[in-house]
Amino acid sequence: MEYLIVSTLPPQHEGAAELIGQLAETLPQAEVVYTQQMKISACLGCNSCWLKTPGRCPIHDDYEPLMLKFLQAKAVVFVCDTKLGFLSYQAKNLFDRILPLATMYLTIVDGQMRHIPRYHKNLAAAVLYTGQSDNAYLNRWLARAMLNLHGVSLGAYPFEEKGAALDALAHC
Amino acid sequence: MHLLIVSCTPRAVAASNTDKILTAFCEGFEAQGNTTERYYLARRDTWPQIRDAFAQNDDVLFALPLFVECVPGMMLEFLETLTPKAGKTKISFLLQGGFVEGCQLRCCEAYLETLPAYLGCIYNGTLLKGGMFGVSFVPDQQREKVLAPFVQAGTQFAQDGCFDKQKANEFAQPEYLSKGKALVLRLSKPVQKMVFRKIAKEKMHSTEPLDAKPFLQVVK
Repeated sequence: MEYLIVSTLPPQHEGAAELIGQLAETLPQAEVVYTQQMKISACLGCNSCWLKTPGRCPIHDDYEPLMLKFLQAKAVVFVCDTKLGFLSYQAKNLFDRILPLATMYLTIVDGQMRHIPRYHKNLAAAVLYTGQSDNAYLNRWLARAMLNLHGVSLGAYPFEEKGAALDALAHC
Repeated sequence: MHLLIVSCTPRAVAASNTDKILTAFCEGFEAQGNTTERYYLARRDTWPQIRDAFAQNDDVLFALPLFVECVPGMMLEFLETLTPKAGKTKISFLLQGGFVEGCQLRCCEAYLETLPAYLGCIYNGTLLKGGMFGVSFVPDQQREKVLAPFVQAGTQFAQDGCFDKQKANEFAQPEYLSKGKALVLRLSKPVQKMVFRKIAKEKMHSTEPLDAKPFLQVVK
């Protein structure tokens, strides 16, 4: 698997189904995961993944196998809807739960504090979304999120701009 | 003023940094005869009551920790269940994070500035502060010192009726690490690691290496 496509929208979602079909056709060795039927809880902010069981989340649900796929993929594409001008909570939970990939230890990069990554893995992520949202803000947020994970943002795109997303994914 | 406060951390109340900050904030806010009622999103069974309280109150404060550069997923889940209001409710935010610099919280602040409009409410400012990771871990005396500015912030909020942007910016200092502070942090890495290991051992009863790599074999 080179590309991991993670959809919080169900397979029968019309717009997502068409988009994911095109992504899977175009991107080599793409694997698609639908999270709607999976049990993925919100991060509890308990710090266990940093201090008690380093690298492992104490919530035993369907997230850990997904996180392991993040470590194997060249790039991860999140397909989701937006609510209240931001990612839906289901999509945000996927990002919040990623903290086991960082350590508690800190470093300074460009004058700002960062967590030291747990693995030598350059995470690359793109977000493809449907619904009303401020694209500039979503790009700002994703860039910031990936920066703190020592990864790379491939951008946030509304479904209508899938061509630009595919271009970024193909060249990552 | 009567203020509805919703603590939006998913963490259990007893271990919550956000709640300790809120307690200090309320001390200052209530000293002048103001009143508060406080709810916790971590107690999911109370969400119906929180929705009712949101519908009935016109001054609301959401307090939250920074989660991956924005609001916690659990908070979004709750907000998605709210019925938008008619426009006179003011929402203020108290945002805290672990990293010291205020700049680390600005991306989330930018979202919070837009959020009340989606709920049919008015944005009433954000108080943000970094360096709060250790609030639950430090000895009582040190905690009081860390939290004292929030008592003053509560008093100020009672006087102003909002979080004034300029005052909030001063409160958020340092915005960036000074070169001197960054150098000290770099040089103190061994001490920093020792402190984290001590916290892990004493508070979490764990002796595992904090940089353990349990899934190293799957990394590609």
